[in-house]
Amino acid sequence: MKKKALSSLLVAGLMASTLAACGSNDTNNNAGNTTGDSTEGGSKKVVAWAWDPSFNGKALNIAAEIYKQEHPDFEIEVVDMSKTDLEQKLNTNLAAGVTEGLPDIILVNDPNIQKYVNSYPGTFADFTDSSVDYSQFSQYKVDALTVDNKIYGIPFDIGVTGLFYRTDILSEAGFSAEDLENITWDEYIEIGKVVKEKTGKYMSTINPNDEALTSVLLQSAGSWYITPENEGNFVDNPAMTETLRVYKAISDSGIAKPVTGWSEFVGSFNSGDVATVVSGVWQIASIMDAADQSGKWAVAPTPRLDIEGGVNASNEGGSSWFVLDKSANKELAMEFLGATIGGSSEFYERFLTEAGGVGSYIPSFSSEAYQQTSEFFGNQAIYADFTEWSTKVPGISLGMYTQEAKDALKNELPSILNGADLQKSLANIQQLFEQQVQ
Amino acid sequence: MGGKLNKSSLIGWQFVLLPSALILLFSFYPMIQSFILSFESGKGNVSEFVGLGNYSRLLSDPMFRQALYNTILYLIVQVPIMLFLGLIIAHLLNQPNLKFKGFYRTAIFLPCVTSLVSYSILFKSMFAVDGIFNKLLMNMHIINEPIAWLMDPVWARVVIIAAITWRWTGYNMIFYLSAMQNIDPSVYEAASIDGASKFRQFFSITIPMVKPIILFTAIISTNGTLQLFDEVVNITNGGPGNSTMTISQYIYNLSFMYTPNFGYAATVSYAIVIIVAVLAFIQMKIGGEKK
Repeated sequence: MKKKALSSLLVAGLMASTLAACGSNDTNNNAGNTTGDSTEGGSKKVVAWAWDPSFNGKALNIAAEIYKQEHPDFEIEVVDMSKTDLEQKLNTNLAAGVTEGLPDIILVNDPNIQKYVNSYPGTFADFTDSSVDYSQFSQYKVDALTVDNKIYGIPFDIGVTGLFYRTDILSEAGFSAEDLENITWDEYIEIGKVVKEKTGKYMSTINPNDEALTSVLLQSAGSWYITPENEGNFVDNPAMTETLRVYKAISDSGIAKPVTGWSEFVGSFNSGDVATVVSGVWQIASIMDAADQSGKWAVAPTPRLDIEGGVNASNEGGSSWFVLDKSANKELAMEFLGATIGGSSEFYERFLTEAGGVGSYIPSFSSEAYQQTSEFFGNQAIYADFTEWSTKVPGISLGMYTQEAKDALKNELPSILNGADLQKSLANIQQLFEQQVQ
Repeated sequence: MGGKLNKSSLIGWQFVLLPSALILLFSFYPMIQSFILSFESGKGNVSEFVGLGNYSRLLSDPMFRQALYNTILYLIVQVPIMLFLGLIIAHLLNQPNLKFKGFYRTAIFLPCVTSLVSYSILFKSMFAVDGIFNKLLMNMHIINEPIAWLMDPVWARVVIIAAITWRWTGYNMIFYLSAMQNIDPSVYEAASIDGASKFRQFFSITIPMVKPIILFTAIISTNGTLQLFDEVVNITNGGPGNSTMTISQYIYNLSFMYTPNFGYAATVSYAIVIIVAVLAFIQMKIGGEKK
């Protein structure tokens, strides 16, 4: 009898404590988050989520230092997590309708902007009527932030592209800097063939599993995988047809070294296997990792598509800062971002000097920091060149379904490279995309 | 008498109560919720009830068909290879006169303790175009040109299958080994006296004796393969094209890579549930004990 009483008591105790734990879950969470979100003791602290602490995190810390000069009680806590983790966490939190665990400021990759704003309405703060002067930013960055005539964040770094090339390899093959100025992709391929023949080096890399190159090609002609109305943009799109023709030509010509991942891609130019890299301005840091190649690099404008509207400038990547509408420190976070990343030339000068990041804030382009020359790039004023090209990048709408469209294209790319009829393949892609976004 | 029985069963029920409540709360409740979710569709939080809309979309979804095809391909190629290899290795390790048994056993089981992501990354670099595997084959003059393993749909699948086989064979081997150690040696003795070859003994004694374990490993491997995710995402990220994408990766894409449609993602998850249930049923019918 005693035993029984004891055991039932134990079981009851266990049950009670478990249930209590379940019940108190919420309060626990709240407690945990308030310390994170924090308004303790009225101190002015905002929390931000960002990936890449030496780049994006660094930017926030620079901004905070500048902001503190006039607001000494301001504090920022930058929570570092990988890009995938951040996006996944944001998605699950928002889908669950839980906003307590979220920070005040969050970094958003530009292609995700429309997706987030449309999928989670009312979640992100509207900057349209804020003090930020958006006419001071490159138009294509502001376009990316605009959904239904409202602007949802602060433009941050850009990925204006250039044609990085090894001056030593190209001169060995008989090409000078002028030969690479404002060329078309067909000219690029011809140069590549000569380089391959004379030096044995590859001209570039190719990775059929990665959409970076097709994205650069499309945007250089002011086009994208989807239309601003979020329809597939594969059929009857001259830019798309030309992009895939060029892509196949690069693949067929044998000038591109096949790579399957990011580290292989970076390794190919760090080890000196390839002579050129077409990539965003942020690639400078990786290129400069090969210290032994100092002085052997230069940058030319991105090759262009030989069609109407094709220009020698494009963009790859870039992100923006969002503020969560439900955050307790919304006003403070907006003011902080607006005063620094949204309108301080000093910020962009320091961001460039200390982290090598290029923004889209036009007034900063004329500053001294942006005129600096780089010894690594043969004393070329690379940032001045990049910012000049950035003003020529065609503005496009990234839409909501970029990833779906890329995957639909990826599905058909192997058969396109194997020589399938392009028009037919494009029709297939369009159909697959429409299936995906119903 | 009766009262005593009741009392002890009451205590038993008390023990069952707590885990049952937890299973109900953390396993069945989400299952029911996601089943309800599978009748909704939309973008993120903006979703509406669509009835069977998601299910009819599923049937005509080429991306899902591709993922299903890939997953089933892994299943019918990889699971039999792995289970058979596991059986053979277990049999070899079960030989009474084998030396360094402990070493071999550990070495073969070791892949199972490696993290899924880290071994996937290792395989990726091994099968890179200028990776160690190509170098090896070229030095042995088996091939003249490096093979772009991860860029060819067929080779990419071969790499994935090789990777999972490496990772999981030892795991199944342990089950077989423990089952084989429970077989009475006198059975083999008798068979030897009757003149049965080793080969014959393996197929006519060992395999039938460990049949329940084979069934068990077949079901868990089937289940595991249908949920395959980490390897594919890290080695090929579903490529080239979408030729190695699995159903799990498709669910992940629908929820986290694409404009989130959690309703449709839940529908695809339920497709896996149904497939696992059907396959398990078939395997039980074929391999199970006759009642």
